[in-house]
Order: sequence, then structure tokens, then C-alpha cells
Amino acid sequence: MPPRIRLQTRQLKVRIYHHQIPSQPCFYASLATATTPAPPIEQTIHSVSPIARFPPTQPPSHKPPEVRKSQLHREYQSLLKSSPLVLIFQHNNLRAVEWMGIRRELAIALRKVDAELAATGHKDLYADAIKIQIIQTGIFASALRVVEFYNPESTELPTQHPSNPATATLAHGLSRQAHEAASDRKKKLDLAPLLSGPVAVVSFPAVSPQHLKAALSILSPSAPNFPAPKRKANPSYHEPAVQNGIQKLMMLGARVDGKAFDQEGTKWVGGISGGLDGLRGQLVGMLQNVGAGVTNALEGASQSVYFTMEGRKYMMEEAEKGPEEKKGGEEAKPEGEEAKPE
Amino acid sequence: MITRFLSEVRTSFNPFSPLSKTARTFLAQLPPDARATGMLIKHTILPRTSTQKPLLFVKFKDGKELKLDLETMRSTEVMAEVDRHSRILARKEELSG
Repeated sequence: MPPRIRLQTRQLKVRIYHHQIPSQPCFYASLATATTPAPPIEQTIHSVSPIARFPPTQPPSHKPPEVRKSQLHREYQSLLKSSPLVLIFQHNNLRAVEWMGIRRELAIALRKVDAELAATGHKDLYADAIKIQIIQTGIFASALRVVEFYNPESTELPTQHPSNPATATLAHGLSRQAHEAASDRKKKLDLAPLLSGPVAVVSFPAVSPQHLKAALSILSPSAPNFPAPKRKANPSYHEPAVQNGIQKLMMLGARVDGKAFDQEGTKWVGGISGGLDGLRGQLVGMLQNVGAGVTNALEGASQSVYFTMEGRKYMMEEAEKGPEEKKGGEEAKPEGEEAKPE
Repeated sequence: MITRFLSEVRTSFNPFSPLSKTARTFLAQLPPDARATGMLIKHTILPRTSTQKPLLFVKFKDGKELKLDLETMRSTEVMAEVDRHSRILARKEELSG
């Protein structure tokens, strides 16, 4: 019995394809391309918002951020950037009790300065911000190099590549740019020789000669200008623990407004009487004197010109008058002579 | 470093010169109670412009004096030099009881 559906023999043949069937484009409604307006030109040059591969609070760092060294580096950078006046001391085997005593005495002396300043109506009270701390010299030196030589505001930073968010501009002190700027061995730090061995720093949040004077008279007292507090006034300063500690502290130098100062220079800064106000007063006085001098000098020149001119005028007048007067005199004489006989 | 037999240490150095490191390291090696046990320690810090050589003067308890020129010596060499005499003193002390 023949099959009901009639199949032709040609249809029963198994077809073997040796080449791929060209895939037909499928026309789904959801994939249909609508004509959209072209994106703005800026979007085609710079990527709109590259996918940030890092949270904004944790930018990528050249040095491993989880390491204590990196964190110390960052801390020292912020210390150096925020304190224009840093004193550098060497500490030779101080004991914990001695450190405690020194810190206590320093705080007391600085609070006293603050109280004096507050009494005169000043608002620059820094006593609680001035601290003595032991530093890791190598990391501190490296942080100082970054602070001195890396200036993200002025240097040209490479801009972000449009498609690569990893090339984001990072201006922080642990970035690769900072490392490259600081690792230039041709640049030398003035303070580099100081930063070896056991070193402690005293950081001041502002250049305040009064506070500096108080700190110096506690930490490295010297007789005429920075006397140590008297035994009667401050008996706790003369405790053996504090005195032993202070003998073991050596002041090496200071960094004032980015410049290295030796011991004498630091004492000079501390010796500015009356602090910055005193300095301003001195400057005003000096400028006034200079002004007076300048006006005197200028006046002097014009006066001398005036006097010479006047003198010359007088001479000319004399010369003009002279013969007449002489004539007059001659005339007068005969008159007199004439008068005499009369 | 053996510091038991030192009775006097005097140094002078300019901290801004890299040569001062030896003197500073030497001072840092003295024990915390050095002054309390009768050692006289004096340091002179020279101004920054000074070109004077860093000096170290050490006096032992038996009266021997050492004057070391720190310009050429490294810290380990200074220590060796001081220890050499200290060891002699230590041996003497041991023998005398």
C-alpha cells in the first residue's frame, strides 16, 4: 500500500551540507535600531563615566596601603604639610618615665603661654596641638622628599585616558607620580643629614615665636634667652626624671617654613620678641623710619637746589646791585665829603 | 659596646654634615643611666656653616684618653677602638676579683 502522503524520492534523500549556511539576520522588534541623534562631540573624545575600579575613599596607591610603613609615610606627609615649624631632636636612650615627664612639662609651659596670649586677646592658641613625637627617620625623610619635591598643583599631571580608568589623575602623596617626583636622587634635602639615628620632632601648627620660646626653654634651655623655669616657680621641672631626660635630648635643627635652620637660627626665630605682632611692629617702625629718611633725602635735594638757586639769585642781585651801591657809595662819599666842608 | 669603663665622653659635631653621624650614633649607644653612674657626657653642636671636623674624646676610668677623628672612622670602627681598651680593663677587673 502506497503511503498516504506522497513523498517524492528527491525529498527522501539525506542532504549533507559541506558549507555553513549563511545565517540570516533575524529581525526582532526589540533589536530594531532606531535612528538616534549623534552623541555630543565631548562624549566621543572623553569617556562619559569610566567605571571606577576603586572606591573614592581608597584611590590606588603606589605603595601597599595596608602596610604600616605606608600609613606612617602618609601621616608624616600630613604632619609636614600642616606644621610650618618642626623642631628636630635626637633622643639618646630616654626612659618612658623621662618621656612622660618631658611631655608633661612641655604641655604645662605651652598652656602657660596660651593663657598669657588669651589674656591679651589673642586667638592663636596652639598649646594642645604642639606635640613631641618619635619618628621613623627613613620614612620621615622619604615623606619630606615627597612634600618638598612633589607639587601636584604646579606639575603637569597626565590626564585620564578616555577608555582606561586606571590612569586616573591621582594627586595624593602615595601615588606613583609622587614617588617618581620624590625618587629623583639629584635633588638633595637640606635636612637629610639630620634624619638618622634616634630622632624626635616637635611640630607646631604655626610659626609662633612665643610657643617656640616656651618649648625651647623646656627642651633645650640655654642661659640668657631661653632660661629653664626656676625651681621655685616650677618644682616639677626639676625632678630628677625630667632633668635626666632633658640632658639626653639634643636639638639638631629645625624646619621653618620649608627651610632648614640650625640651632642658632631656631633660637633667633624663638627670640623674636612679642611674637609675630612684635615683628610686625618692628617692620612698621622700620618702614616709617625709612619713609622719614626718604622724605628727608628728597626734601634735602630740593632744599639744597632751592638754597643754591637762592644763593645764586642773591649773588646775581648782589652783583647787579654791587656797582650801583658802589656808585652810590662813591656818590655818597663826595656828598659826605661835600657835606664835611659844609 | 662596653660602656662600663668610660668616665668621660666629649663630642663636637655639625649635625648638618653627613660626617656627624658617627658622633651621634656613639652618643645614642650610651646607656640610659650613663650620667647617673658618673659618666660625664658633653656635646657641642656646631653651627651649620662650620667646617670643623667632628671630634670624639673618650676618657676611661683608668685615666687613658682616646681622641678619635670621626672624619674617616665609621661607627663600627669607633666601637672597636673603644672596646679594645675596655676589654683590657674588663680582664683586669676579672683577675683582680
